[in-house]
Amino acid sequence: MTSTLPAVTTAKAPAQRRPVPGTGAHRRVEPPSRLRSSRTDLILCGVLLVAILVVQGWNIGDYPALSDDEGTYLAQAWSVQQGNGLAHYTYWYDHPPLGWIQIAVLTWIPALISPESMTVGTMRAAMLVISGISAVLVYVLGRRLALPRWAAALGMVFFGLSPLAVILQREIFLDNLAVMWTLLAFTLAASPSRHLWHHFGAGIAAATAVLTKETMLVVLPALFLTMWRHSHRDTRKFALTGAVTACVLIGFSYPLFALLKGELLPGAGHVSLWDGVKYQMTRPGSGFILDEGSGSWGVLQSWLYYDKVLPIGGLAGALLLLVTWRWSVTARALAGPALAVAIFAALALRPNGYLPAMYVIQALPFLALVLAGGTASVAHAVLSRWRSEAEKRYVGVSRYALAAVLALAAGAYVVPRWYDGARTAVTTDANAPYKAASKWLATEVEDPERTRVLVDDALWLDLVHQGYRPGLGVIWFYKADLDPAVTKTMPRGWKDLDYVVASPTVRRDAADLPNVKAAMEHSDPVATFGTGEDRIEIRQIQTSAGGAR
Amino acid sequence: MLTSVFIAAVSLALFWMAAFTLWWQMHAWRTPEVLASTRFSSPDGDEHVSFSLLLPARHEQAVLDHTIQRLLESSHTGFEIIVIVGHDDPETTAVAEQAAARDPRVRVVVDRHEKKNKPKAMNTALPHCRGDVVGVFDAEDQVHPELLAHVDHAFRTTGADVVQGGVQLINFHSSWYSLRNCLEYFFWFRSRLHLHAQKGFIPLGGNTVFVRTNVLRDADGWDPDCLAEDCDLGVRLSSIGKKVVVAYDSDMVTREETPGSLMSLLKQRTRWNQGFLQVYRKKDWKQLPTLGQRLLARYTLMTPFMQAFTGLIIPLNVAIALFLDVPVGIAFITFLPAVTALVTFVFEIVGLHDFGKQYGLRVRFAHYLKLVVGGPFYQVLLAGAAVRAVWREQRGRNDWELTSHVGAHLDETAMSRQDVPVTREDVPA
Repeated sequence: MTSTLPAVTTAKAPAQRRPVPGTGAHRRVEPPSRLRSSRTDLILCGVLLVAILVVQGWNIGDYPALSDDEGTYLAQAWSVQQGNGLAHYTYWYDHPPLGWIQIAVLTWIPALISPESMTVGTMRAAMLVISGISAVLVYVLGRRLALPRWAAALGMVFFGLSPLAVILQREIFLDNLAVMWTLLAFTLAASPSRHLWHHFGAGIAAATAVLTKETMLVVLPALFLTMWRHSHRDTRKFALTGAVTACVLIGFSYPLFALLKGELLPGAGHVSLWDGVKYQMTRPGSGFILDEGSGSWGVLQSWLYYDKVLPIGGLAGALLLLVTWRWSVTARALAGPALAVAIFAALALRPNGYLPAMYVIQALPFLALVLAGGTASVAHAVLSRWRSEAEKRYVGVSRYALAAVLALAAGAYVVPRWYDGARTAVTTDANAPYKAASKWLATEVEDPERTRVLVDDALWLDLVHQGYRPGLGVIWFYKADLDPAVTKTMPRGWKDLDYVVASPTVRRDAADLPNVKAAMEHSDPVATFGTGEDRIEIRQIQTSAGGAR
Repeated sequence: MLTSVFIAAVSLALFWMAAFTLWWQMHAWRTPEVLASTRFSSPDGDEHVSFSLLLPARHEQAVLDHTIQRLLESSHTGFEIIVIVGHDDPETTAVAEQAAARDPRVRVVVDRHEKKNKPKAMNTALPHCRGDVVGVFDAEDQVHPELLAHVDHAFRTTGADVVQGGVQLINFHSSWYSLRNCLEYFFWFRSRLHLHAQKGFIPLGGNTVFVRTNVLRDADGWDPDCLAEDCDLGVRLSSIGKKVVVAYDSDMVTREETPGSLMSLLKQRTRWNQGFLQVYRKKDWKQLPTLGQRLLARYTLMTPFMQAFTGLIIPLNVAIALFLDVPVGIAFITFLPAVTALVTFVFEIVGLHDFGKQYGLRVRFAHYLKLVVGGPFYQVLLAGAAVRAVWREQRGRNDWELTSHVGAHLDETAMSRQDVPVTREDVPA
């Protein structure tokens, strides 16, 4: 047999050195090299995973309320499964398509066994897989970033059980998928073996994240920093170049796809990637986040309504890590996630940026990690900093007492709030009106196949399963005004329709959509489900003759 | 439909080939630990192994004496230098004899074969070797004085039967192809050979290679009829389970120059490729114990041809994807090999930077540019050499067996060997 020479001096190459002048301790806390064979880690992570899956999965279809975006992505995933291309209407490069392609793969087998189960409420179950993987990755990443076991577990708890996380991770959002890929990228970037192909894989995972939700682009500098810190100086050049190359080349497949379809640049009679990007870049801003009354302020308040601990605590954690950078090993180990939080915070603070409600999803794992890291830092400061052999016994005791008091106080603040959040999530039924409306349209309408109805995206697939013609029979309401292929089939405008299902989304957006607005004005409710703002009305179009068409 | 399937199949095959090659090429940089393990370990001062250093020289009177002097400066104390000269080469013989007269450690052996080649010359010298280990150098090599001490140490600490040291072309600035040529050596010796050593199948390089004398004698020395006798020796030795150790140290590599012209490079490559084909057809590698090793052997010996094929077909493939009307999915697949090629390109750029750093050479922007722009042309050259090798081997196969004593074909072969006398180092790439 043949072999290579043994290593020069030591069996293991020296760990990376950080040339920070003027400070003493630069020991690098070695992350555990084999989590797989650590029984304690496996048990801890497994137990937490079960808890997270139970809290997130219980009542997942009934709470929170179905959102339009979920319907959009699931309907497009359905279209992919049907072999109808990337969308059931013209795909117009609003987002890269990899996200709903993944949803299509994820829901493929259940949809094959029971096609009618392909509705938003049911298919939310698929998101549990994503949440589960992401939560485990948060733990593994925490460990790889040298967090002690309890702190990594705490990070996983923050990420998976914060009421804000529970509500957002249940929903079929591209952001959730993108977060999973980003976490994978970070985990690979922090690989303890510092393997070239792990870093290469991190680049691929990062590109996948960006192709899932393009806004993940902004977190790439933090990923780069993580990789820089975790690579060895002898192989860093190759590792980083490999990762960047992989990321860029995979990323280029999106414009390449557009090029191959002849849709890269604007032109007559077709959509283009260029127009899609332009649309995203010029979306009207939602105001300054700290300006009371602005749209962004409202979005922020909606996050804080569910949970203050993770967003505010996370920001505070990031700040603490930043301030203690010079002294704290933990702070330096968590540089990547802290930078990610800083980037997300800076973008949210743009004076007139566009801040969508799911923006915070992408920040959740990093908030969780820096909050856990900050907690670990504080714990370390309280329990062991400036500790010497000669320390008096009463000092040691008071250290533990202080730690216990802090832990109890934090628990007393967090646990009741999170308990309430979890209870709401597992008991509330927010989607009863949707289900009732869907049932009414299935049973009360005589000839669904010849009926034309405007609905919001969340309800669209339900009606498809109930025999309405996908696309032109059951119509995404805004396509009635914005898609020439649809308006062409409505020469008489609202008169060519039979029903409009007025959900909160439809009522809100009708103001800017002439056909929808007219349909609303020329219709009367024949059935109403729910009350107040959240009610869903099924409105039948009235022709000039005074009756139904 | 059929076109699509065909294109997809070719693309996927190309992709896997390129991906494997890339994977192996990057072996040394996989982890910091692997990189550290490719270096020589420091000698401890003990000396137990004695060396017989073979120095075949042919019409190399100009450089020979300098090489001998360099070798004599070696810090190791137990070695002899055996200069092998041809009976028809009085100029070189004179230089060798003078050196022998000055220093008792130098001896001269005269090769009296009618048709001369390097394996025959070395086989001639083999019975005269007194050392425990036979080392091979070329007449123009610059050998580091500490090399023997390191090799000695490597033999003792690893129990190796063979130690392969590094060889590095240095004159990257001479021409566009010398730049690529240097980088090929860099990736080969710095990285790929270590993978082969680890996997237990290794084609050896032509010099700075050290073999235990008894192992070499048991193997009946070199194959005198093989155009890549060094590769052949490595394959035969690793196939019977001999332990081969590879060590690379930028301080300690044997430095060489690239072939002087594009034509001589082409001829050199043709010879290597033909040699590889011969080794492939000798089937010694089939004795390798595991399937993985046999696959690696098969693949490695076929590499020149795969490389030629890849280099030519990738542009064709991309053209098809862009201009032919195939489904978008298929078009995507056709880009896969190009993606791997691009990744390889990028790693080459980084490799060039690393090469410059390790050898203290100033690599300028223009060199990077040359590296990239020259890439496709170099592929064409490699492809040309591969095609030429197949063609010659096909045509010459009958000659070889029927006229091996007449030597009509061998003449031509010998010619092609002689026209590159200054670059007789056999490194497949």
